[in-house]
Amino acid sequence: MNTLFDVVLGRPLPLGVIRGLLFGTFALHMLLALITLGTAILGMVYVARSGWGGKAGERPWAKGILHTLLGYKSLAVVLGVAPLLLIQVGFPVPFFTAVNLFAPYWMLVIPFLIAAFLTLDFVAANTKARPHLRLALGTIGLALLLAVPGIFVAILTATEYSGAWLEIIQRGYRLPGPLAYHWLFRYLHVIGASVVFGAAVHYFATPEGEHERRRSLLRWMLGGLLVQIVLGLLLYLSVPARPGTVANFSLALSVIGVVVLFWRLSRPLPPSLISAVSLLLVILIPMLLARQALQDRAILPLHEKLEGNAARYRTALRPFAAQGLWQYLQTLETVYDSGQTIYVQSCAFCHGQQADGKGVEAANLTVPPEVLGAVRAHRAYFRDRLREGVPGSGMPYFTVYTRGQVDDLVSSLDRTYHRRYTLTPQRMLEVITAGYPGTAMPAFASLGSDLRRGLVEYAGSLYEGQPRR
Amino acid sequence: MQFPIYQVPYLGNGMTIALDAVLHVVISHGFAIGVFSLIVLGEYLGWRKPSEAWESFAHDLLRITVVITTGIGAITGVGIWFLTSALEPRGIGSLLRIFFWPWFVEWFAFTGEVIAILIYYYTWTSWIGERKPRHIQTGAICLAFAVASAFLITGILGFMLTPDGWPWNKSLWWAFFNPTFLSQLLLRLSGAAAMGGIFATGYLLFAAREESFRREALRLFGRVVLWGTLATGACAGWYFAVVPSRYKAQAVFSVLTSALSQHPELFWIGNGVAVALILLLGRAATRGAMPLARALALPAALLAVACVGEFERVREFIRGPYVMPGYMYANQVLLDEKPLFEREGLLRSSFWYSAASGRQGVASGGRYLFGQNCSVCHTIGGINDIVQRVRGRSEDGIAAIIAHTHEMVSFMPPFSGTVEERRLLARYLYQAATGGIAVGVPSRFVAGGAEGTK
Repeated sequence: MNTLFDVVLGRPLPLGVIRGLLFGTFALHMLLALITLGTAILGMVYVARSGWGGKAGERPWAKGILHTLLGYKSLAVVLGVAPLLLIQVGFPVPFFTAVNLFAPYWMLVIPFLIAAFLTLDFVAANTKARPHLRLALGTIGLALLLAVPGIFVAILTATEYSGAWLEIIQRGYRLPGPLAYHWLFRYLHVIGASVVFGAAVHYFATPEGEHERRRSLLRWMLGGLLVQIVLGLLLYLSVPARPGTVANFSLALSVIGVVVLFWRLSRPLPPSLISAVSLLLVILIPMLLARQALQDRAILPLHEKLEGNAARYRTALRPFAAQGLWQYLQTLETVYDSGQTIYVQSCAFCHGQQADGKGVEAANLTVPPEVLGAVRAHRAYFRDRLREGVPGSGMPYFTVYTRGQVDDLVSSLDRTYHRRYTLTPQRMLEVITAGYPGTAMPAFASLGSDLRRGLVEYAGSLYEGQPRR
Repeated sequence: MQFPIYQVPYLGNGMTIALDAVLHVVISHGFAIGVFSLIVLGEYLGWRKPSEAWESFAHDLLRITVVITTGIGAITGVGIWFLTSALEPRGIGSLLRIFFWPWFVEWFAFTGEVIAILIYYYTWTSWIGERKPRHIQTGAICLAFAVASAFLITGILGFMLTPDGWPWNKSLWWAFFNPTFLSQLLLRLSGAAAMGGIFATGYLLFAAREESFRREALRLFGRVVLWGTLATGACAGWYFAVVPSRYKAQAVFSVLTSALSQHPELFWIGNGVAVALILLLGRAATRGAMPLARALALPAALLAVACVGEFERVREFIRGPYVMPGYMYANQVLLDEKPLFEREGLLRSSFWYSAASGRQGVASGGRYLFGQNCSVCHTIGGINDIVQRVRGRSEDGIAAIIAHTHEMVSFMPPFSGTVEERRLLARYLYQAATGGIAVGVPSRFVAGGAEGTK
């Protein structure tokens, strides 16, 4: 980690403010995300029960629950934007690194969410569709939706434990042993919480007269709370770093909230809306505070180091700043809209500014660059070389330019060189004698001198008869 | 470098982001602004006339629009961010630090838009009678949030092409209100209106509606298509007039690519046909020529989507060697870093190379250098395959080309690294092209053996 550094541009806000905003916006997002997940889970449970094994009176329950999904999921998505922004601005290196380490999974969140929302919206809107179709589509949608928090939990786990980064990259998108268990319990804990919160929201949204539905949702809440106690204990034991005082205190508060809520829900007269919401917030907020405290203990020391490294890196870059900006201006001013510019930029480094084959790279090439000024050929020949390159040499193809640009380049060469230079008899003799390295043209030095000179004369006479295109 | 490098196999990073982004732009512009404004207008006409046909048409169109915008539009919008976080972390990380406040305000606009659309959707059947004007106002508020969202994002997108004085003064105001900001904003809004007209026309033509209502609505939507398209054309002209000449010279190639660059007439023919067919749809609709309008509805809608793809492709491509002109090259190397890497070496400066085990040889170093310098655009074995690009070239020829990429090809960034690293990359590419080393289809560019090779 010693050579990693924070984003070079400075932070727009003090880190403390970012952390405060991050906690608040993340809590808001989590609340809606839990309700969304819980709504989808319970909605699909009632869809299944309404077709198989449930009571006849349960059929409208699924509709009533799933109908609200569109609103909750929209809010969950939009409220997720702020914490995403804040964590990326505040802790870009740990977060982006974790995202990159699980890049394929992270990117799958998009199609997963689209498919989940569309299928679940279909199930919610088409109550008269075939039960098997609704169940099948809804189950697929739910499975995809439930995968998303699994991916997020993996990203957050990797964000917090930078010591595992190299191992993750070597293992190929897998968390090492202890972190994998931590991920599993953390993920299940989120799912459990979503059942509790989803059931609570729909319990209070259900009219008081609908006793059966309310009782059913109450059972989900109670069951969810019991499971959460077990999962919470396993999660606590799996935390890789020792939790500090703040985390322990917050967790204790949250556990007390769970116990009190369980007790109140078990009584014949369930709690009022206000007291239930208060208790749920007493559970959620300390739980998120504990999470934040654990995350801070893991990230802040690393972040401090990254910021220090970034400051040193800025100093190292300072001498090059003017050069970079000068280069930028030069780039903006060079417009590739004429053959002359294209020649200077794209060709001259090999073929030379004077088309004499003496560009700055010429000495590094085994096959010497052509002396373009000495070549006499048809436009079509040039165009073909530009379009296809010359295999076996360094000459690439230039279809990176449009036909107009290529034609302009050829015209520019015609104007600049071909009227002043020709393929001289001396050059022809050199090629026949020594061959043309990098092409199929062999050396004919073994032929007698007179014969080679005769060939030059004959080839010259052939050329003179060709019309120019 | 700061982050590990990942590339989407076969598809490449640019195409992956583009597919998501184009879908998002079509929905956020075409539906969230274009179609939605016609829904609010339809509801208003239904209340004002009064007309049950307008009321019910607007309500039906809203149901579809809400599902599309919240189910696909919102996710693909966040998706652009998700993808760049994974594929171009340094670029998005820097952009976020410059544009934190516009982005933060955009969160409020986005939240306001979603809350307004949910209220609008859920209260359609209950806010009736005297409460109807309030319902229509809610729709208008939702629309205002959508336009505010476009306003905020366009400032950032404009910066990525024309940062104006920001590279020198680092002023947010200069960065946001940059030379292409206003023309691009108006281009997007007029394009949204045209697309909204096309999509609403398509829905109207094929949904079961009473014939007299269909003709009346068609006339209105046809006018929206006509005027929206003409305004889009005018704004596109203004936009490209402001774009620096350096970038404009790359516009035609950006659409045709190497595959069609020798047939530039296709660019003009394609665009001409697209505009002509869309205008013809508008004309057919205003004149009530139902069969012609039906025949043109789907092609016009597809061509509108293609035009969105074309514009976004041109905008993203022509800025050429930069992802943030004046600050960062497309391969996420800072302009100031290039001379540093030339002196110090890129491999030595990269944590993700130097910390990994098994880093030796051409395959390991060459692959990492390719990943850092080239993989933002080139894949191995997929779209814009580098192996195909260098095939037939000599090793020393490749080394010479790498030294001058930014001069030779106007939209390519320069190579960052020492002379030895340049030769190492050339050897890697030459051996990859000639079968000297097995490169597979890598997605992860890390040191050591064959990791990351699929």
